[in-house]
Amino acid sequence: MSAAEKMSRRDEMETLLPFYLNGSLEGAELEAVEEWLATDPAAMNALGEAEAEFSGTAAANEAIRPPADAFSRFSKALDAEAGPVRTPGQSWLARVFGRVTAMPAGVAWAAAAALLALVIVQSFEQPGGKGNEFEVAGTQDDLAKLPFALVKFKPDAKMADIAAFLDQNGLKIAGGPTADGVFHLTIPASTAADYDKLVGLIAAQPFAEAVVQGRKPADGG
Amino acid sequence: MNAATETDRALVDRVAKGDRAAVRLLFMRHHARIYRFVARQTGSEMMADDIANEVFLELWKQAPSFEGRSEVSTWLLGIARFKGLSMLRKKKEDWIDDDDAAQVPDGADTPEVVTMKEDKAAALRRFVDALPEEHRTVIDLAYYHGQSVTEIGEVLDIPVATVKTRMFYARKKLGEALKAAGYDRGWP
Repeated sequence: MSAAEKMSRRDEMETLLPFYLNGSLEGAELEAVEEWLATDPAAMNALGEAEAEFSGTAAANEAIRPPADAFSRFSKALDAEAGPVRTPGQSWLARVFGRVTAMPAGVAWAAAAALLALVIVQSFEQPGGKGNEFEVAGTQDDLAKLPFALVKFKPDAKMADIAAFLDQNGLKIAGGPTADGVFHLTIPASTAADYDKLVGLIAAQPFAEAVVQGRKPADGG
Repeated sequence: MNAATETDRALVDRVAKGDRAAVRLLFMRHHARIYRFVARQTGSEMMADDIANEVFLELWKQAPSFEGRSEVSTWLLGIARFKGLSMLRKKKEDWIDDDDAAQVPDGADTPEVVTMKEDKAAALRRFVDALPEEHRTVIDLAYYHGQSVTEIGEVLDIPVATVKTRMFYARKKLGEALKAAGYDRGWP
């Protein structure tokens, strides 16, 4: 039996009084203390003693004064902290691209090629991309039918920017890069007008070096 | 919701998204208590100043991993306690290195002698301060920081039964000290 279990009822109540006073007691222990206070003549005196301890402890703590400039010094220290990378809400693809961005440019583009291979493999293994945060382009037959454009990104382009842009516009990388660094992007357009608009948008991005039109939608006038 | 009514947890959520203003709000809410907790734990306001700052920088870094299983105040006190213990260990090693152990406080005057002419409130405050660290800490956490038995267990990383045992002996020692100083309260 532990020391706590050996306590007399009075000992137990005296032990719980500080928690009764700070309002954290609940359930059976709260009921027990309240019943004790209501029935034992010594209990109210004990409560008064605990209140005196409460005041004494508060006074002992309040006597300690933090430095007046603590907040300003902390603020400066906080501003100097980079903190962890915080990218809530980004898709799987954007997060992975974000990590790749931290690599030197040459390594990053090589990693991107490997990543694309992974995306394409997944597109074949999981048509429609169910269960992932990104959508893959579909089976190889599907890819052959989709509108697309060929895009080359600038060597200093940030992949996180590219990934975010692709996410926002429903664009998918379906292949690449070629030896020349050209990517095959599927364009989610059902009309030629939508297609032109999206391809124009890609070309207007600061990270786009060159955009070549590929297959347009069937009405492609 | 304005800053004054936004809960600690909501602020931690904001911190987790990189909101520095939310850290500053939490600092303003909790810094004084964390500072006092460490000051009493370590006996050094200089250490308390350093550690309290570190606690909130840790909050900035660790907010994304806060799971909300405890109150934010409990979480911060737990971080503070850990950092305080680490600093005390390091300080102890430094003392040994310097062969300067004579500077370690030895309790000097007995509480009874010092408080003969003090009133009960002042005596009680002194007795609380004179409690062994493990007993004083549970008294501080319950009376000053408003922590429950379970929360104190989390902060100190000890079982609930141990919290109660420490509280029992802490209050018993206070009662004995008061009795020795002429203030018999009838228990223990």
